[in-house]
Amino acid sequence: MNKTILHLDLDTFFVSVERLLDSRLKNKPILIGGLSDRGVVAACSYETRGYGIHSGMPMKMAKELCPEAIRIKGNAGTYSKHSNLVTEIVKEHVPLFEKSSIDEFYADLTGMDRFFGSYKYASELRRKIIKETGLPISFGLSGNKVVSKVATGEAKPNNQLKIDYGLEKPFLAPLSIKKIPMVGDKTYQTLRNLGLRKVGTIQEMPLDVMRRVLGKNGAVIWNRANGIDHTPVIPFWERKSISTERTFDKDTIDVTKLNGILIAMTENLAYQLRRGEKLTACIAVRIRYSDFNTYSKQMRIPYTSADHILIPKILELFKSLYNRRLLVRLIGVRFTHLVSGNYQINLFEDTEEALNLYQAMDHIRKKYGEKSVIRAAAMGARTIGRMNNPFNGQPPIVLAHRKQ
Amino acid sequence: MKFIVSSTYLLKELQVLGGVINNSNTLPILDNFLFALNKNELTVSASDLETTLSSVLEVDSDNEGNIAVPARLLLDTLKTFPEQPLTFVVSDNNTIEISSEHGKYALAYADGTEFPKAVELANPSTTTIMGDILATAIDKTIFAAGNDDLRPVMSGVFFQFSPENLTFVATDAHKLVKYQREDVSSSEVAEFIMPKKPLNLLKGILAGSEDDVTIEYNDVNAKFIFGNTILICRLIDGKYPNYEAVIPKENPNKLTISRSQFLSSVRRVAIFSNKTTHQIRLKIAGAELNISAEDIDYSNKAEERLTCSYQGDDMQIGFNSRFLTEMLNNLNADEVSVEMSLPNRAGILTPADGLDEGELVTMLVMPVMLNS
Repeated sequence: MNKTILHLDLDTFFVSVERLLDSRLKNKPILIGGLSDRGVVAACSYETRGYGIHSGMPMKMAKELCPEAIRIKGNAGTYSKHSNLVTEIVKEHVPLFEKSSIDEFYADLTGMDRFFGSYKYASELRRKIIKETGLPISFGLSGNKVVSKVATGEAKPNNQLKIDYGLEKPFLAPLSIKKIPMVGDKTYQTLRNLGLRKVGTIQEMPLDVMRRVLGKNGAVIWNRANGIDHTPVIPFWERKSISTERTFDKDTIDVTKLNGILIAMTENLAYQLRRGEKLTACIAVRIRYSDFNTYSKQMRIPYTSADHILIPKILELFKSLYNRRLLVRLIGVRFTHLVSGNYQINLFEDTEEALNLYQAMDHIRKKYGEKSVIRAAAMGARTIGRMNNPFNGQPPIVLAHRKQ
Repeated sequence: MKFIVSSTYLLKELQVLGGVINNSNTLPILDNFLFALNKNELTVSASDLETTLSSVLEVDSDNEGNIAVPARLLLDTLKTFPEQPLTFVVSDNNTIEISSEHGKYALAYADGTEFPKAVELANPSTTTIMGDILATAIDKTIFAAGNDDLRPVMSGVFFQFSPENLTFVATDAHKLVKYQREDVSSSEVAEFIMPKKPLNLLKGILAGSEDDVTIEYNDVNAKFIFGNTILICRLIDGKYPNYEAVIPKENPNKLTISRSQFLSSVRRVAIFSNKTTHQIRLKIAGAELNISAEDIDYSNKAEERLTCSYQGDDMQIGFNSRFLTEMLNNLNADEVSVEMSLPNRAGILTPADGLDEGELVTMLVMPVMLNS
């Protein structure tokens, strides 16, 4: 049976939200992202694109390219609030949907043709979202996720596009290979070196050649180029890991400060685990030196969510990882191998006082916010932390320039 | 060197000894049995360097000799024979020839002097205990010992001998079992930690045995002597955690329940718990025990209600169901009682009946923190 998959994408989502909050920003070039020297552009309005600005670009460079652009720091909390408004509407109107990122949705409309006509229904949904939230949104409608996504990209800004069954290949053929999801800078270069520029050329190539050049991924790209994609719409996004990282405004070698930040990160992540009733069995520390060399080290541990076990282990990992006498640009902490469960109390190591203290601290955090009580050692890094519950089944908020 | 021995008798003894031999040895000689022949006495030993087990077998011979025979090959051969006398003859080209009623088999052997010597215990202390009591003590405790290489002391069973009683303790920091015998005692106070492997061997050999076992021990090694067999092993070095201090003294909440009912409910409900953490929740109010589990990842859920007799405040406590089933399984009482104080303190599981005279069992299980 042919499927009907809808892909919805909010146009320049962060910018649209900012414009919604302050109408003076309309039709002006806007850059959203970190404002420090190290900041990158997380989102930019269409007005700035003419200057060659794209998301992921260093803010400093963007500022030079377009000095008159209005630069905004952005607020993840506001964005997710608006994203949730859209989610609510989508949820109400479609039988099965997947929120694949903060501003993107897939919906499975298979079988709805019988009653409404999928295209008509999708158009009405789009109009409704625009009317109720004031945010511009585009959609692509086709038989699978990949083609719908590409179609949305082609429809933008603020428009819609339908690719009928059987027309996927001719639709994709004239597009640049860069438009295929999964073809990033590296793959693009590899393919360009092969003399490939248009998707149509890949369509004409034998599958084996692609496989020989790019391995398994080559086969997937070939399928995508041919408009073949069988991935289902997955309604629940299960967290496989939680992590946090920090790039410094200025590279540092201050180990006390780094330790403090690691403690703050671990403490915060451990609280997220406990709040979500999760345990971790694998912890990792990541470090990027000023020369951009990135190293990470991980460690298997018995399932736990307790600060007093995690913090020393993280510091120990960091100690063994940080062995180059170089300035540090970024550090991060990641917990993987997550399972549902609560902390198993240890007969000899846990005292009742400590357990009660932890419970009381978590209670305060629940009531007054997660930064209301923190370890003194972590005070130097107050800004570490996140707003959302990472275990609510929604995808993490990934900044636009981070390729997933 | 030449001797004649019954095939099944030899096999029976060798199979027990074979339990010592590791599947992969760093020292190739350890893949062998040491055969030390002295007239009618054949002493067979097997070792993994930590533990050495040897038995004296009666054979028909007037020779002497000392050779190491490949264990796996010999065992595999012996298993196939029906009862019959076997003749072992050492021939000159470093092979030992076995003659059966069916034919001849030659095995290459190594020089017996290469085999590591069993340690001799310097100034040992001695205690005697009945074989079955020791086997029961091991059986009751060993399951609670840990597997953590980082905490070696907890990977063994703690033997505590005193003139009043003998105490055996095992814990992995999440559960703890203390098995005490007041009807047996030692002449002096002694403590040592036995590793799991020799204990499992002893448990297998001694179960049901009414014979006395003599235990000799010093700071480094222990030696168990029984029948024609001697087991020498190295003790685990280190200080055992102060387990007495963690057993809660005041436990106002006491639950008494049928063991089999409790066990089968826990088992059933646990199927619906998370596959990795196995956590279940007990809710006790009035005379009702509510056992529930949930696996959020798969939307599996179970809940059971049992009647019980309960004295104390209503409470809610989480446990790893694995620990509970292991402990309940290990008991053979009809009724058990669980004493608790707070949801973040240990629960104490004791059998209400089914114990021998002088036997005392205390099991401790640590709960998991529940988000209230």
